[in-house]
Amino acid sequence: MQVELEVNGNRYRVDAAAAEPLSALLRDRLQLTGTKVACGEGTCGSCTVLVDDRPVLSCLTLAAACDGASVRTVEAEGDLLDRLRRAFTEEDGFQCGFCTPGQLMSALALLERTPHPSPDEIVTAMSGNLCRCGAYEGIAVAVARAAEAPA
Amino acid sequence: MARLIKTEAVVEGRTEVRWTLVEEDSTPEWPADQPPGVVGEPTTRLTAGARLSGSARYTSDMQLPRQLEATVLRSPHANARLTSISLDAARAVPGVRAVIGPGDCPQFDGEAVLHDEPPYGGAAVAAIAAETREAADEAMAALDPQWEPLGFVVDLDQSLENQTFQDDPVEYERGDAETALAAAELTITSDYLAPAQLHNSMEPHCAVADWRPDGLTLWSSTQGIYQARSQLCGSFGLDQEHVRVICHFMGGGFGSKFGCGPEGVIAAELSRRAGRPVRLVLSRRDENLSTGYRTPARFSFTIGAGCDGRLQAVEASAVMGLGTGGWAYPVLEPVKSVYACEHQHLMTLPMRLNLGPAAAFRAPGVMEGTWAFEQALDELAEAAGLDPLELRRRNHTDVDPSTGRPYTSKRLLESYDLAAELAGWDARDELRSDGRVRRGMGCASQYWWGGGGPPAYADVRIGSDAKPVLTVGMQDLGTGVTTACAVVLAERLGIRPDQVTVRTGDTDLAGHGPFSGGSMTLASVAPAVRSAGHHVRTQLLELAADMFEIAASDLELTEGEVRSTDGTLRRPIHDVTEKLGNAWVTGSGSRAPNPDGMAVNTFGCQIAQVAVDTLTGLITVERVVAVHDIGRVVNPMGARSQVLGGILQGIGFALSEERVVDPTTGTVVNAGLEDYKIPTLADLPEVECRFVGEPDPELALGIKGLGEPPIIPTPGAIGNAVAHALGLRLREAPYTPRRVLEALQ
Amino acid sequence: MRTFAYARPARVEDAAAALSQPAARAMGGGTDLITQQHRGILAAESVVDLRGLGLDAIAAEGEGVRIGATVTLADLGRDEAVRERFAVLHQAASAAASPQLREMGTVAGNLCQQVRCWYFRHPDLTCWLRGGDTCYAQVGDHRKHGLEPGDCISVAPSDLAAALLALDATVDTSSRPQGIPLADLYRKASDENRSTLALAPGEFVTAVVVPRAPDASAYERAGERHAWSFALAGVAAARFGDQLRLAAIGVSNLPRLLDPADPLAGLPGLEQTAWKRRLLSGLAGQALARVSG
Repeated sequence: MQVELEVNGNRYRVDAAAAEPLSALLRDRLQLTGTKVACGEGTCGSCTVLVDDRPVLSCLTLAAACDGASVRTVEAEGDLLDRLRRAFTEEDGFQCGFCTPGQLMSALALLERTPHPSPDEIVTAMSGNLCRCGAYEGIAVAVARAAEAPA
Repeated sequence: MARLIKTEAVVEGRTEVRWTLVEEDSTPEWPADQPPGVVGEPTTRLTAGARLSGSARYTSDMQLPRQLEATVLRSPHANARLTSISLDAARAVPGVRAVIGPGDCPQFDGEAVLHDEPPYGGAAVAAIAAETREAADEAMAALDPQWEPLGFVVDLDQSLENQTFQDDPVEYERGDAETALAAAELTITSDYLAPAQLHNSMEPHCAVADWRPDGLTLWSSTQGIYQARSQLCGSFGLDQEHVRVICHFMGGGFGSKFGCGPEGVIAAELSRRAGRPVRLVLSRRDENLSTGYRTPARFSFTIGAGCDGRLQAVEASAVMGLGTGGWAYPVLEPVKSVYACEHQHLMTLPMRLNLGPAAAFRAPGVMEGTWAFEQALDELAEAAGLDPLELRRRNHTDVDPSTGRPYTSKRLLESYDLAAELAGWDARDELRSDGRVRRGMGCASQYWWGGGGPPAYADVRIGSDAKPVLTVGMQDLGTGVTTACAVVLAERLGIRPDQVTVRTGDTDLAGHGPFSGGSMTLASVAPAVRSAGHHVRTQLLELAADMFEIAASDLELTEGEVRSTDGTLRRPIHDVTEKLGNAWVTGSGSRAPNPDGMAVNTFGCQIAQVAVDTLTGLITVERVVAVHDIGRVVNPMGARSQVLGGILQGIGFALSEERVVDPTTGTVVNAGLEDYKIPTLADLPEVECRFVGEPDPELALGIKGLGEPPIIPTPGAIGNAVAHALGLRLREAPYTPRRVLEALQ
Repeated sequence: MRTFAYARPARVEDAAAALSQPAARAMGGGTDLITQQHRGILAAESVVDLRGLGLDAIAAEGEGVRIGATVTLADLGRDEAVRERFAVLHQAASAAASPQLREMGTVAGNLCQQVRCWYFRHPDLTCWLRGGDTCYAQVGDHRKHGLEPGDCISVAPSDLAAALLALDATVDTSSRPQGIPLADLYRKASDENRSTLALAPGEFVTAVVVPRAPDASAYERAGERHAWSFALAGVAAARFGDQLRLAAIGVSNLPRLLDPADPLAGLPGLEQTAWKRRLLSGLAGQALARVSG
């Protein structure tokens, strides 16, 4: 079926199978391989992208359900995302980097909705993104730091 | 001049003697009194740009022209015989380009890859390469495998009764434990049961194979590109020159990804048959069924000591559940090597079970052995009426107790003191209370190897832009070793680490290097990098000497400049290199051997503070003080991150991670991340991390590895803290709400 | 994964018609449906997305609140009026699953989700609840299962169900717009019908109605780690004047109303779940303490 959607500001018209997850559409059809699939069943958060500003799991999101949607991935541009990238770098908020695209997307969604989150709000918002390397401290501090940084 | 030498290296508890090619190295060591510039300063990761923009290409991201997708049929039974399978029906499905079954695939390291008698649930049986995932799924359904289920054993005690071993039992004796135990003033006996911990690297095992008439290229998520190459050469009878293994970015391994894995062989065979590139990415479930785990183990200790707490004798056994692969990881090493104790009789029994093969997992054997033995020691401390840290101090040893060899360096006593001070150890009893939430504090010692050693090689070139390119024979699984290497090179060339380009993860690029394991990578590679950098430095200074007519010995490279020691000359290094035009200055370096006759180990101590909610049974690790002696710290930022990562995986082992095998069907019931619970951000404790070691005087650059040490003492410290909090000891990990509440009944 | 057709109707009648087809399934956020489809537990041939029906409003209704079926858990958790007047609902919605699953998952989907039993969700086993002969949990590992014996010993997973049961909520469905008590949404699976939902073919939840706000309410739950864990047990308490309502999930097949004076009544525990009695008792005591005047 035909799906029209916007990804990182670019419009696409894609012929997607009904069962095709958004993650496959992004990675295999649009070559946006920054979005990672680590579990494929909604448990790890690596595939988190923003659909109409909400952080969702692209492995469980049907591409067909994204007709007319605006999607943002780790490849997106933006000042807030850049601030997060700088903060993740400076606070060492990643190691292998495989979960990082999902971490960045969850953090972006949080700061867009809550520009100055409390430490508890950061923990809650980021708790659905598993990081096996254990970079959590850097992640939490980076999100707080990006929130404080001047726009 | 190059020469071949015989050298000894300890890799995860196994001593290997091997011939190694080394270059003579005239690079001066860093003087002890002079801080070596950027070495030791916090440095952000070189890979940040690629990893944070989504542009880093991991193996699972590879999309070659005409690439096919592979899927693997796996046995649903704990043990079975394949009685029929319709490979031709699968081949007839439109879009299918290759189908292989048992007998169609080369072996991997001498083991079957596709099984006609799959010995565990999740064992691979057949594989398909197709144009799309949908076609592969359809072909999978067409295979219509028929099974004859066979009897199986997934229970440790049952396998012990059957005496089915996966590896040879290991017996170790020194002194006369039996007599010494009979004479000991204090004896305690205790048992512990450690769970199977699943690696769950975020990037699953995966491979992309491109088989062409002129050779095979394999992109692999691997901790060992050279091992992967040898395995592929062995499987397919190819020469090294015709196999190239690439791993540019890798999403974690933690010990489960040494070599190309069966997935590499399957992808290569499918590519060979289809004449097309093939990508095979394991599902999370297949990952957790077939790619390894920390072995579950049942420990039994009988410890004899004097009333003063000094160890006299230990009898211990460890029954390990290896499944269908792996080896007798050194689970009793903490008994054998950490403390002075004259009489020991240790028995390790590595059992075969109808489960996937075990694999090394960050400090394999030693972490779970430490968890058990350090708790038994606390039991002894209680029996002796001693402070647990005091008991450990009294049993300190200045030489390796099993060989008598001196250590190259050892700062364990300092670690105890600093950890105790930072944790508030002396006031730990004040944490305790009788309320809903009970707090406690516990400690554990850390012991590991990690001195690194040859072979490791590095090449540096610098061109007119004054930005060096460093090529190292290794792969970065996410530890930050790439950045650490850039730091080491930057110091020699007087530039910033972010001006260095590091090329790794390609067997065609560089000479041999170590696999990423055993906490060996940096300690092996860094001296080679420094040596290569030193050669380039020497040449640059000679060029500068010619240009500026100042003797090379009166020049230095620092802060991006060539400077004369008298301060009269300060010119950008670029002023020298720009004269090179399109030429390069190059340098090579290799790792020299470690000293003979000495034990190279890292040491440390962690103290954990926990809060046990007696209503929900949930344990919170509130604080961990981690003090480790790892020699020279190259990048404190990366080092702290390694410590945090180890602690979090240790918390997972202690509190929530446990593979559960159904006793009636023999299949794993929690092979996904919903039921197999690794820590989240909400489980992160406050961590106080310190490094006590000075650069190791006997080792090249004084560096020892840090990959495994931080995970080793965490679970034991938590176990002791929980026992301190509750006044009773949980003998089986993880300490889930169920086990806590059962213990409190 | 099997392929399926996808439809996103705009009218309730169209959705009901589409859902009356064989092997059609209603979808909210899809977080449970798609994972079941992945694992081969479900073989839906068509998926009917209910998010085009405009059932995504939270609105005051009389003394209570009406919550559309496709309101997400995240939006419910963020609703200020719900937070102030129906604390238990806010707490349950905010505690469920993970942040992303809360952004996707809907109120109706949460109430109608399948059990999390690791045998039910095992791709290679067909347990009794899935239409097979064996409750593998009873003979196998049931450490996290229920406290009452039966054909199936899996437990109700929905945090919202506990909260709404304590709040005495009703549920509107496509064919019963006048509403039914929440408890009547559920049924005990039987040999003849293994479903735990009392919905007719084609019928789906359109809204949840809480008739009135309690004087106090609270949700207590225990998980296996500090975030992103299905509840080992969850207890919701609500006080209306001097009437107490106490409901639990995680302890029996269906969301269960407990006797505040004897929360463990009828829940003897099984061989491996006796520990949950202690947990349930503790959570119930805590929840009751939080709502006591």
